[in-house]
Amino acid sequence: MTKKNKSIRDVFGESLVKFGKKNKKIFAISPDLKSATKLSLFKKEIPERFIETGIAEANAIGIASGLAMSGLKPVVASFGSFLSGKNIEIRVSIGFNNAPVVLVGTHGGLIGPDGPTQAGLQDISVMRSIPNIKIFQPASAIETTEILRHCLNLKVPSYIRISRQANKEIYKKDYKFIEGKAYIIKNDMKDGVIFTSGNMVERCLDAANMMKEKYKIGVVNIPSIKPLNTSSILKIISKTKKVFSVEDHSINGGLGSTILELISEHNVKKPLYLHGLKDFTQSGGVEELYKYYNLDGAGIAKFLSKKLLI
Amino acid sequence: MSKKLVTHINNCLTIRSLLIRSLYKAGSGHPGSSLSLIEMLYHIYRFEKNFKLILSKGHGVPGQYAVMKFFNQIDDKNFYNLRKINSKAQGHPDRRNFKKIDASTGALGQGLSIAIGYAIAQEYQKKSGYVYCILGDGELQEGQIWESLMFLNSKYLKKLIIIVDHNKFQNEDLISKTLPMPMIEKKWQSFGFKVFKIDGHDLNSLDQAVKKVKNTKKPSVIIADTIKGKGISFMENSGHWHSAKITDEFYIKAMKELNDKKK
Repeated sequence: MTKKNKSIRDVFGESLVKFGKKNKKIFAISPDLKSATKLSLFKKEIPERFIETGIAEANAIGIASGLAMSGLKPVVASFGSFLSGKNIEIRVSIGFNNAPVVLVGTHGGLIGPDGPTQAGLQDISVMRSIPNIKIFQPASAIETTEILRHCLNLKVPSYIRISRQANKEIYKKDYKFIEGKAYIIKNDMKDGVIFTSGNMVERCLDAANMMKEKYKIGVVNIPSIKPLNTSSILKIISKTKKVFSVEDHSINGGLGSTILELISEHNVKKPLYLHGLKDFTQSGGVEELYKYYNLDGAGIAKFLSKKLLI
Repeated sequence: MSKKLVTHINNCLTIRSLLIRSLYKAGSGHPGSSLSLIEMLYHIYRFEKNFKLILSKGHGVPGQYAVMKFFNQIDDKNFYNLRKINSKAQGHPDRRNFKKIDASTGALGQGLSIAIGYAIAQEYQKKSGYVYCILGDGELQEGQIWESLMFLNSKYLKKLIIIVDHNKFQNEDLISKTLPMPMIEKKWQSFGFKVFKIDGHDLNSLDQAVKKVKNTKKPSVIIADTIKGKGISFMENSGHWHSAKITDEFYIKAMKELNDKKK
């Protein structure tokens, strides 16, 4: 059993400070949510490169664009729902200008009592539709640091979706993040394979373990939602009978859609079932919500079991 | 500048002729919105070094292309294929095509925030040169503008020069008939700005206002009173010419007027 780790957002905040101390081009921009996004750590340590915009995400996005086009490396962090809600500002100021800004959308997935307005539930769909922007989602502390390091070196814009929860560490310290790579976390996939990402990796592993007496289900982590390496996905699919995608995000335009597009493009004749959210969610305890929407281990196992009988 | 004022005025007439010819060939575009910009753009290109320019009212870009053409920064082929496929002179500013277009704009309201980013970077990187942002007066209806003003009220940026092209029209109609803003100066003042309201077609006034902004150690704005369609009588103060096709008849008429004005 791996030990419980720090929450992903804490790791993000600490890693950004670490990188910021080394790289004087890094700026942090916060639209009044530094405590929640953990940019507060950056403000404390590197105040001269911290910009507070107040509750004004559009302005934050524009300022980041100007900084990035001047050769600096701005990181804007807010709730993923609020950032991705600024579609036209991101589309033009960042996407069309190809300004290498790092956008960090926190509070991805089911977040608890604050409810659906504050939760990133459609953020990946919105970001995927904008050219030039790469999309990543870390599943653990180690992966968070490595994805952030990767994005800070990109010459194009990126969006990192992070959850506010603590996830078990699934990687060793020598983990190397490779853009586009699909990481097989559980390899025994005779009956089916789950493509998943972020906070859901842990829950899918729980589901696969619950089902292990009856079915061999593999789990693949996709930290790089855009771009995604096609051949590695097709190779994985060739080793199994049924394909699943599981995400704490809308099934319209998210990770599942990405896999679906890829399967369609390459004429793969295997069933793919998308599991995720279909509607606005509600308030409640975090674990209570994952259970309610069948996105905890048991709920995922239930979804898979039904489809495996078809 | 006064000794050479006649030369500069003639240069602006030449630029207007270039603009009308490119729009005539394009068969569409925004003549009125471009014509009101000419003097302020000419002043920047003629007198500033190492400047950055964010044309937040991106639909006025034919005016910028015409100034760039005058200063040999765009070739004939692209300039006279304005708004055509594969031309560098796209319908709105596109930085993919020009090193000297500092931001792609077009969706209104975004340019000032981008200019703020550039201005912060200029100071931080200790670079010379000013960052200009040209806003449309209709564009002030976008909420993001006021986000930017609140930000600037809390952070003075010495490299930033904001000019509002106050031509009194927006896409559909007069601003006064849409969402009137009768106290434009007071709006800016209430956000902590020093306002310099000038005749935006008078090069001397523009020159003095830019100098004043550079010497004012607080957030400032130049509200340039302009005439939509300036320089061509039938286009002046006309909502129709915000964006309208220049036909053969109007092209000949416009070019004749501009030629007649040259001294």
